[in-house]
Amino acid sequence: MGNKTLLKANIKRHKGTLFGIFILTLLVAAALGTVLTIWSNSERYIQSELNRAGFGKLTAWVANISDTKELENSMESLEEIERVEAQSLIYSNYTANGIESDSEGQLIVYSPIENRYRFFTDDLSEYTDAPDTIPSGKVYVSPSMVQLLDIRIGDEITFPIARAGGDLTLTVIGFFEDPFMGSSMIGMKAFLISESDRYLALDLIRKAEMDALARDGAMLHIFPTEESGLTASDQNRLLNEQTRLAEYTEAVHSKDAIAGFMLILQNAFSGLLLAFVAVLLFVVLIVLSHSISSTIASDFVNMGILKTIGLTATRLRLLQLMQYLIPAALGLAVGFLLSVPLGKMVADATLTSTGVRIPATPPVLFSIAAFILIALLLAGFIFIRTRKISKITPLKAIRGETDSATKQIKQPAAFGGGLHIRLAFRQLVSGKNRYFGALVVAFLLVFFLSLVGRMDSWLGSDGKGMMNAFNPADHDIGVQSFGELTQEEFEKTIEQYTDITDTYVLAMPTASFNGISYTANVIDEPERFHILEGRTCTADNEIVITEFIAANFDMEVGDTVNVRGDSGSGEYVVSGVYSCANDMGDNFGMNREGYLKIGKDHSNLWCWHYFLADSLQKAAIIEGLESAYGGDIHVHENTWPGLFGIISAMQALTQLMYALTIVFIFIVTALTGSKILSAEQKDLSIYKAIGFSSASLRLTFALRFAMTALLGSVAGTALAAVFADPIVSSVMKLVGISNFSSNPNVIAVALPAVAVTILFTGFGWLSAGKIKLVPFTVLIAEL
Amino acid sequence: MKNTILRGKKISKTFIQSGKEIQILINIDVDIYEGDFTVIMGSSGAGKSTLLYALSGMDAITGGSVKFKGQEISKLSEKKMAKLRANEFGFVFQQTHLVSNLTLFENVAVAGLVAKAGSVKEIYEKTNMLLLKMHAGDAKDRLPSQVSGGEAQRAAIARAMIGNPGLLFADEPTGALNKSNSQEVMSLFTELNKDGQSILMVTHDVRAALHGNRILYLEDGKILDELNLPPYAHDDLKVRETKVNNWLSSLQW
Repeated sequence: MGNKTLLKANIKRHKGTLFGIFILTLLVAAALGTVLTIWSNSERYIQSELNRAGFGKLTAWVANISDTKELENSMESLEEIERVEAQSLIYSNYTANGIESDSEGQLIVYSPIENRYRFFTDDLSEYTDAPDTIPSGKVYVSPSMVQLLDIRIGDEITFPIARAGGDLTLTVIGFFEDPFMGSSMIGMKAFLISESDRYLALDLIRKAEMDALARDGAMLHIFPTEESGLTASDQNRLLNEQTRLAEYTEAVHSKDAIAGFMLILQNAFSGLLLAFVAVLLFVVLIVLSHSISSTIASDFVNMGILKTIGLTATRLRLLQLMQYLIPAALGLAVGFLLSVPLGKMVADATLTSTGVRIPATPPVLFSIAAFILIALLLAGFIFIRTRKISKITPLKAIRGETDSATKQIKQPAAFGGGLHIRLAFRQLVSGKNRYFGALVVAFLLVFFLSLVGRMDSWLGSDGKGMMNAFNPADHDIGVQSFGELTQEEFEKTIEQYTDITDTYVLAMPTASFNGISYTANVIDEPERFHILEGRTCTADNEIVITEFIAANFDMEVGDTVNVRGDSGSGEYVVSGVYSCANDMGDNFGMNREGYLKIGKDHSNLWCWHYFLADSLQKAAIIEGLESAYGGDIHVHENTWPGLFGIISAMQALTQLMYALTIVFIFIVTALTGSKILSAEQKDLSIYKAIGFSSASLRLTFALRFAMTALLGSVAGTALAAVFADPIVSSVMKLVGISNFSSNPNVIAVALPAVAVTILFTGFGWLSAGKIKLVPFTVLIAEL
Repeated sequence: MKNTILRGKKISKTFIQSGKEIQILINIDVDIYEGDFTVIMGSSGAGKSTLLYALSGMDAITGGSVKFKGQEISKLSEKKMAKLRANEFGFVFQQTHLVSNLTLFENVAVAGLVAKAGSVKEIYEKTNMLLLKMHAGDAKDRLPSQVSGGEAQRAAIARAMIGNPGLLFADEPTGALNKSNSQEVMSLFTELNKDGQSILMVTHDVRAALHGNRILYLEDGKILDELNLPPYAHDDLKVRETKVNNWLSSLQW
């Protein structure tokens, strides 16, 4: 009963502080719960949907294969392989809403019996039943096409199957969930079509013969036997060695790698947000620490009196523990509950980026475990921070003694010019412990925002950083001819718009690297590769590898490797390590002469890359080339449509972090400010009595926060300058990007510090509004 | 003929306590004259400090008006009132009330800077001079918690004087001091008054009140009587003390 009364009184007395703690923990829990939901569900869901879609442990995309069944049989005859399931498809470029895709689409025949895919309602708000059939002339697409090409129901997509009008035009009638090519991170896109349209396309290909632009092919889902202990790479090597798979392979990916592609966005953003939540949790601890110290200082006498009537230090500490833990636990509980609708909102909002509807059901056990862990952390922290209560003796409290030692001021402040600034500085220095929390909060927030800001800088408004990371070499535009069109012809067209300042050719065939199929970036000017270590591959027996291949194969510069192309194989020496995040870093680079020793040359293999005198002419050149040559060429920029989705997502994440930062700074300033105001009531009255106006006192109060935040911000910015790039680099390496270097401009460097300092100053000024209400009566001895 | 520096007309102050109206000051008319050392006395709870703070604009009045040098101050904006306090009023409180985290020097200098009582250099020089005059020069770089009550109170007087105030308000300035410190503080007040400083002081200490030349007696929210004395001098102390004591006895003090 006694405990309850005291607890109720304490809660009533400190209700403002406790409400602040409730809000902070609520935000932490809501953000954490949402991240856990998205992170845990997306991985599980992608895996389950890949299973539903029939992906094997390894899936090979093949084309121009004369007898698919024979290849299947040859693979199934291997002891390690249980079965192979083929899904027929047609590779074709496509155009929609006036935009030509820069990656091929895969036209897959829809078979309702196989139940491989889930379908969405037209407004993408929920799932709907799978259609019994897809009418001829119609097509289902991934929701990411909405973001990529602004596709809507009723829009037409044109597939240039063959030259001279051999187009297949289909009307979009709905959206389906594609667990492989759904993400906007992946250029290739799947289209579900009717069987009759597939026959129509095949007929066009057959009739066009050499003029065919599309290719017949298949996805081969390869399932190993249960007993097989082979890794996906080993399987790939075995199949390349024992069958003719390598001759037809367009690409090979393991199910884990596919899941990795699909989860790049979710994992990257979840990781960032999770790190931010950790920072926010630390901020909560700082706020708690400050509140507990202030409470003990203000309740010092009361606690001494309570000890005189028999309350033990442990009981008082437990009361404090309960006082803080109740709002914190409530905040956590409400926050985790809020994460359910928030998770759904995020899942809805990211559908057109990720291509899949991530289930919003929270991972209950995981969430409960996180809740208990955080609650225990907070409880332990509160209990430790209340240990000062043990030192309070009744006599000391009643005498009004505190544990704060008074220090001699060695150097009095010179209050000369700028009275407010100097007075604020003086107050700050003499009460520095009170501002320590705000200082650390400013430091942490600025460091983290700087880190995110550096990622934004690297990405750039046009995604240049990302493109440089993914492309083996820089360029303005790339042009690939699919027919008889010569380089000289399309260069003439380009030069109608602007001069070509430089050029090189690049091909990206699949080749086997020590038996495993990877993309080979073949270039005629190998000095254009982004070399990280060693030197580029100048000789015809040299290759360069990514850091990821080097790590996977435990290779280093000077090692020898066997590379097999479509006409032979050879031994090559690793001359250097280069940067290219394509296929999450699973690729290698060769020079043209080196590749032609093992690969067939044909004019359509090469893509001409150009640097333009006026790069602003890119859009006009692309339009001009496409209208002049149609399906005979494929033109691409140093970008891909999905990139803008990533940039938007990154901007949304940054905005979310800034929003959370604003709320946190507001609460931290309000809590710290109210405690300081309460402790300084008498001093403020004195200042007023000697002629300070409320407005000028408010200004000095805000300036104290400004100086604190500025100090923390400068430290955070300095730390970010040293550590942000290495930290982000280590995260980027998880998605194959090994050359992260932000090189931020002055604005990007200063923005977090300026924003945080302004926020602290502004909120400090707001929280000092109560100064106007400070009465003189505290100075009056007797009325 | 004395000049009125502060005039209170029909000053009333009412509190509501537990739904009941309590009148602390009842229609008080009072003039404070330039160059006077006016003392307000009265029994505990008579409303002495309330009257002081009402006259100084520190506390809002319920009715009536207060004019300082002819200017109505009871309705001034917060900003104008702050300016008035900085430039025209000086305050000395019973509990010294120095800013706890500023040294004695800083406490005095800040008040001078707010009052804009000269250039920074002049203010610093004047601060040092005042602290020396108040016998607090040795403690100027210490915090209020590190000096004696007497030193702190003397520094508080220096602070009150730094802006050359038109009127110095003192609320029980010796209330928290021992006998020797009290005497020292009152001597300083007397010296200031001799130099022409107008002072309005509240006290219940007869020995402190002797230093004034005009004593007002407050009882139940009204001024019952006043006693005018010649300027304070040591030679007539006994006569002065008897006169004041007799007067107070007649008022049933």
